[in-house]
Amino acid sequence: MAFAWKAAGVSYNKYLSIAAQAIRKSLKEQARATAERRSQMELKVSRWENGKQGEAKYLGTTQQA
Amino acid sequence: MQSFRLLRTAALRAKPLSSTIRTPMRRGYAEAASDKIKLSLTLPHQAIYKATDVVQVNIPAESGVMGVLANHVPSIEQLKAGVVDIIEEGGASKQYFVSGGFAVVQPGSKLSINAVEAYTLDEFNVESVRAQLAEANKIATGSGSEQDIAEAKVEVEVLETLQAALKG
Repeated sequence: MAFAWKAAGVSYNKYLSIAAQAIRKSLKEQARATAERRSQMELKVSRWENGKQGEAKYLGTTQQA
Repeated sequence: MQSFRLLRTAALRAKPLSSTIRTPMRRGYAEAASDKIKLSLTLPHQAIYKATDVVQVNIPAESGVMGVLANHVPSIEQLKAGVVDIIEEGGASKQYFVSGGFAVVQPGSKLSINAVEAYTLDEFNVESVRAQLAEANKIATGSGSEQDIAEAKVEVEVLETLQAALKG
């Protein structure tokens, strides 16, 4: 049934991320470790004023608990 | 009258020139008579195929599985999770399970497939597919939020496709 997920309010972008996540989790041990390391990201933000870096604010990580 | 004559002489002068160039009538696509299609299968972190000549590619488009040969009509297809079947030169075939993405058929026998993840079938662990499927099914039939259920249903669909591909 095509587009069943779309009717339920899931965007294609979301569909892709769910599918990719499912694939990564289904891999054999070695490939899975590599794939999951790749999807790890962290985000920090800080404002620059007068040529000086302000305080860095940590916005989180994609790493799953 | 004067201008007519001018045209006539111009035509006469032009005639021998055109008769010396013996180009046959050209028709679109005929010169690119290659029966190969250049495939690029790319992920954000890796290019599995890079403009490689292959014979045929079967892709899991949203509208159904479709086979792409050389000289296919240009089109853009949204993919769902499924098996991309690549028939290489010499008849060997390779199968990748992709997460979904887009396949773009460009003029001149070029096919670009962009996906988030793509792995050959032997890289999957059947046991963990089964475990995840059971988990996703539980959420899909559970009493979570509508959003959770919708997302779990997507996961079930993807995992069922993967399981079927691994069995086949």
